[in-house]
Amino acid sequence: MKKLLTAAALAAMATAASAEDVKLQLKWVTQAQFAGYYVAQAKGYYEEEGLNVTILPGGPDIAPTQVMAGGGADVMVDWMPSALAAREKGLPLVNIAQPFASSGMMLTCMADSGIKEPKDFADKTLGVWFGGNEYPFLSWMSQLGLKTDGSAGGVTVLKQGFNVDPLLQKQAACISTMTYNEYWQVIDAGITPEQLVTFKYQDMGVATLEDGLYVLEDKLADPAFQETMVKFVRASMKGWKYAEANSDEAAMIVLENDQTGAQTEVHQKRMMGEIAKLTAGSNGALDVAAAEKTVATLMAGGSDPVITKAPEGAWTSAITDKALAE
Amino acid sequence: MSALLFALLVWLAAWALNVWLAGSPVAKTRFGKALVPLIFGATLLVLWEGLVRGLGIAPVILPAPSAIAAKIATSLPMLWQDFAQTILKGAIPGFLIGSGAAFLTAVAIDRSPFLQRGLLPIGNFVAALPIVGLAPILVMWFGFGWESKAAVVVVMVFFPMLVNIVAGLQASERMQRDLMATWGASYLQTLVKLRLPAALPFVFNGLKIASTLALIGAIVAEFFGSPTFGMGFRISTEVGRLGLDMVWAEIAVAALAGSLLYGIVALIERWMTFWHPSQRH
Amino acid sequence: MSLRQTVLPILTILAGIIVLWYLAAVWMNSTWIYDQAERAGTTVSFAEMVPQTMSLDRPLLPPPHQVGAELWKGLFGQAVTSKRSLVYHGFVTFKGTMMGFGLGIIAGVLLAMAIVRFRVMDMSVMPWAIISQTVPIVALAPMIITLSSQLGLSDRDVPKAIIAAYLSFFPVLVSMVKGLRAPDQMQLDLLKTYGAGEAATFLKLRLPASMPYFFASLKVAVAASLVGTIVGELPTGAIEGLGARMLIGSQFGEPLIMWAALFAAAILAGLLIVAVGIVERLARKRMGVPA
Repeated sequence: MKKLLTAAALAAMATAASAEDVKLQLKWVTQAQFAGYYVAQAKGYYEEEGLNVTILPGGPDIAPTQVMAGGGADVMVDWMPSALAAREKGLPLVNIAQPFASSGMMLTCMADSGIKEPKDFADKTLGVWFGGNEYPFLSWMSQLGLKTDGSAGGVTVLKQGFNVDPLLQKQAACISTMTYNEYWQVIDAGITPEQLVTFKYQDMGVATLEDGLYVLEDKLADPAFQETMVKFVRASMKGWKYAEANSDEAAMIVLENDQTGAQTEVHQKRMMGEIAKLTAGSNGALDVAAAEKTVATLMAGGSDPVITKAPEGAWTSAITDKALAE
Repeated sequence: MSALLFALLVWLAAWALNVWLAGSPVAKTRFGKALVPLIFGATLLVLWEGLVRGLGIAPVILPAPSAIAAKIATSLPMLWQDFAQTILKGAIPGFLIGSGAAFLTAVAIDRSPFLQRGLLPIGNFVAALPIVGLAPILVMWFGFGWESKAAVVVVMVFFPMLVNIVAGLQASERMQRDLMATWGASYLQTLVKLRLPAALPFVFNGLKIASTLALIGAIVAEFFGSPTFGMGFRISTEVGRLGLDMVWAEIAVAALAGSLLYGIVALIERWMTFWHPSQRH
Repeated sequence: MSLRQTVLPILTILAGIIVLWYLAAVWMNSTWIYDQAERAGTTVSFAEMVPQTMSLDRPLLPPPHQVGAELWKGLFGQAVTSKRSLVYHGFVTFKGTMMGFGLGIIAGVLLAMAIVRFRVMDMSVMPWAIISQTVPIVALAPMIITLSSQLGLSDRDVPKAIIAAYLSFFPVLVSMVKGLRAPDQMQLDLLKTYGAGEAATFLKLRLPASMPYFFASLKVAVAASLVGTIVGELPTGAIEGLGARMLIGSQFGEPLIMWAALFAAAILAGLLIVAVGIVERLARKRMGVPA
């Protein structure tokens, strides 16, 4: 018995000792938007691959790109526009996986503001988040030919805070919403869908790729790090597919991990349901056509394009090729 | 590495220069008083530049002062617009309204120890509401324009000013108040001719603290909702875009503006409270 | 002062504020109710509107009983160690505040002593200490975190304490400088006639003379440290602490959680200031400072 226990203890220590540490920086606070990673952790998928993953939640004052630059994380979840802009600024980020196949970004307007089509945006006040989420909006406005500096005939842009009050308090005609979060907050607040006019970026043809996994190019050159990332992506996608199939359980796992205690079951279950729609159809591999479309959208920004030249080497399929080969 | 060593040498030399200057008659002149901190500040910049170049720090983590200076030079209109929005329209009105309200409240409750005992602890409580929680609420109430930023500043500035003015109103000595009484001075005369002047050192102490709070309050408030210009807006968005040189450019403007405000208050203080011992140095 | 003298004024003012608060809540929440009625095509009379303003899910200004109920739930309705407990989050914030406060006092006092003693420090450093406060800490906070993780400090408490100390050292510094210089020329001359050296003059004259200024600043400093800690909770992942709760409540459309956390933070600050006040009174008694 003693021998068995010692052997087991040694084996456990050995696996623990050889477990690789991975730090994942999320784009925002703990919520079902990142369920795949939490599920992978809770269900032991990371452990199976020999990884010891620390999930770092993001927040309002945290720029995932800066955390990566400072070496605070090995891999981050971010949107492609933000990563491409950072790449052009000198931070060589590379997309290694794309769990989100479609975009959940929308512009939601009150019907009584008189807006029926995008050209009605002129001379209205629109709310946008910044911190990396403004790029799709700016590109779209540029393509519509609407100036964003508040001049006549253009749109007045408000930097939204982190909730939907500007719409409810009539401070903006439209606000940026995600299908999985803010839109439902507006509904929860008592507004009915008939009182809203919603424009989905996906339907307007200006959608950009959202949550993807990014690492630094120089780290990727190290074969050991590549191996770690292959395992990480494999386990994460397993987590995502499980979350898609078992959204309520996934929501509860996310809730367990929320250390602020402020999230609610209702919110997270609903969010998970919506997120599953966005991850459906992706096995983690980046759809290069979609990536190129994102690049085109960003470069079509008229006088103020988000990126000025087509990025080279901004994504790689090397990791997903190996991860999904099994 | 050599850049770092060079920077360190420059710093040591400048420090020696400053020590000599401080002990020399130049220190008593206005020129000397301005020169010493300027030398100190300049050497800090040299040290910073040396650190960034010597240790090869990436510009997306900490840009070098030369890069920041270049950014300032090319973005003056934007910096001015941000400055006007945040400081001229947000911080200063809030500062004036908050200080004025605190002054009136302090004088109003001066007559009533009952009100003082009730209001000060409650004022304490209100002042303790953290700005990070108040700012979103005030933006929700007052909208995205300068009004909400001024409101945040008023809330931040009110209580420190109130505490200082109340303390100041009690600063006049017993003997001095008795003297006024022997001259048959009314409450108002005692207030205006004795107690308010005696309160001035405390008032200015409060004003100095309030001036920095006003600046910070206006900038933080912009993090929670603003039009697309303003110093807080610029800082929060540029952090997200890794435009750290712009962030530091805005910080430099904030520091300049805050120092100017503080300097103006200190100058007025020197003019009005020349009699206080702390002014004799 | 008797208990009645201290408590009665507070209660009176509190009662007055609560009345005003209820009135304001009715006034501010009414807009939403009227708008909703308009959208639904119905009308709402004044008498119907008032009770509705008292129990909205997303009130613009929650009336006192709503905030109170949420506070109660947060403070007493959960196990103290649960992550829904305001006591737990309050403790996290308290720890950070105390670290920052201690650091700030040490930095402020040492710097003030150096500034008063050495002319070169006064002339070169004091202006920069003042300027340091004009640098918005919210801008520096993410950079402090990034730099500290680059230096290998993966623990989030140290950068949080630095951010809090950054805000709290300044009131201490300004007040101590003023206080250490408060003794007038007559008193300084007196000590010179006693043949007192620099150290003795400092310990026996300047330091005691600065005590009133020091304690006046401590109250501002502890509040500043709390503000700094809460600001520091944002870039460190908004995981725990009252600041994190406020943020999540605000972001997810749960204004009551936000208000409850806000009040909890204010209560914490109030407790800290009262504690500082008690320490002050004890210290002054021991030092023989006239009340």
